[in-house]
Amino acid sequence: MKLGGVAVLGVGQVRFGVHRAKSALELARDAGLLAFADAGLDLRRVNEAFVGYIGAGPMLGIRALKEFGLTGLPVTHVENASATGLVAFREAAHAVASGRAEVALALGFDKMSELARGGGGRGIGRDSIDSVILPAAYFALWAMRRMHERGTKPEHFARIAAKNWNHGALCPVADRQADHRVTAEEVLASAKIAEPLTAMMACPADDGAACAILAAPELVRRLQPGRPLVRVLSSALQTETYTPGHTFVGPVVGPATMSRDTANEAYRDAGLGPEDVDLAFCHDAFANEELEYYELLGFCAEGEAEKLVEEGATSLGGRIPFNTDGGLIARGHPGGPTGLAQIHELAVQLRGEAGRRQVENARIGLAHLVGGGSVCTVSLLARD
Amino acid sequence: MPEPAPRRRVPIEPGFFTIPDDPHEPPRLLGSRCRACGEHFFPRRVVCARCLARGCEDVLLGPRGTLWTYTWVHVPFFGRKQAGGAGYGVGQVDLPEGPRIQAVLSGQAGSFAIGMPMELELETLRETPEGEAVVIHRFRPLPADAKARA
Repeated sequence: MKLGGVAVLGVGQVRFGVHRAKSALELARDAGLLAFADAGLDLRRVNEAFVGYIGAGPMLGIRALKEFGLTGLPVTHVENASATGLVAFREAAHAVASGRAEVALALGFDKMSELARGGGGRGIGRDSIDSVILPAAYFALWAMRRMHERGTKPEHFARIAAKNWNHGALCPVADRQADHRVTAEEVLASAKIAEPLTAMMACPADDGAACAILAAPELVRRLQPGRPLVRVLSSALQTETYTPGHTFVGPVVGPATMSRDTANEAYRDAGLGPEDVDLAFCHDAFANEELEYYELLGFCAEGEAEKLVEEGATSLGGRIPFNTDGGLIARGHPGGPTGLAQIHELAVQLRGEAGRRQVENARIGLAHLVGGGSVCTVSLLARD
Repeated sequence: MPEPAPRRRVPIEPGFFTIPDDPHEPPRLLGSRCRACGEHFFPRRVVCARCLARGCEDVLLGPRGTLWTYTWVHVPFFGRKQAGGAGYGVGQVDLPEGPRIQAVLSGQAGSFAIGMPMELELETLRETPEGEAVVIHRFRPLPADAKARA
């Protein structure tokens, strides 16, 4: 669906990390209040809200909205695994595009650190046939196959991870902010997780919250005169189309071609191609995924992704910077808020407010996430 | 001396694999075949994922296939599966009938190669309070003598 008639009114994100002292609702409140402050309004002006989380209990979305007041607004829960936050964003964008909301809010939060410690979230750590194989193993299977087919080296994955660690160090809301320049050698030397992946090639299991408030462009212009207008151009969502070899049991986030199909839909709806994009965000839960997405999102031909890494094309200052806030690897990946953190960084970059990590003349940005069960979403945003 | 009676084996979840009476016989996977288009699936399903026809029939799949990709897991990142010191293999195995099966692999690190023949077996995960062995299917590299016989 072509969107165009939707713009970003405000964004907010709390720094991702392990927040033992704060509940998920407190994190959600803090991120929401930052977005309201950025937007310059309060809950009275919001017509509809979409709330995404993976691990917290039932009904929490409605309770989270109460932190901002009780105005009777419709609230809908959204859950699509790792893609949750970006799908909540998509629903908010469509609520504005359809005209049923002048202002719509997307809020994501999660405390993945508690799930990872054995908190017992749905499907994770359950004694079942689906829980035996872990996400790290699943994506390592991609990496091993890639190495077999293309001669990719673990160094390629390590360079991507090091790049994202170094981007994260420039981002105040990133979880991991290294006090030194991270090298590919350091990444390769970190603890082994699943061959060929190492600990520093993997995202942390952390906590956080992020929020985006969307509105009709006319309203954003009126409320924020003089500020660059960031529009939502398109937002595509797909689940998997059956292909032979689909695995129905265990963690499944593929086949990888789902990302290509979803990106093509987003490009088509926006009337753009990958050559128009100035910066991109992807599901780099494991570094080898990012390498695959260079090709699947159209930023290079099939088999050329390794070259892109060797040229440093996806680092800040390169041809197409990826994950300028550190991505899932360094900014963090709590789950529900992850996609909204991408939108937060995109808005900051497209407004030209990203400071030391600013992509020069950034005008068009892409956000991509995949989620377990096989779902993919891609959004395109642009500054007028 | 009489041999101790073999422990009764029960699946981690019912409906995924057979448990042969003979402990030396490999298990089979409980799959489906579409009566309309012939596509095979694991696990069992009613509606064909390819042509959407209703009415798949039950079939047994395996026990042999080809390793499509694998990894060696050193550290469990999420969940309870313990690496047990040295770690364990995980792979995807293509069955001749079509389905690609994701499963734990038995064997040592360094003993796997993409394209190698694999065979199903049952792994005991733990024991129930009643003394039953809880088992799950996994693949192992096909032993050389089995290859000769195949």
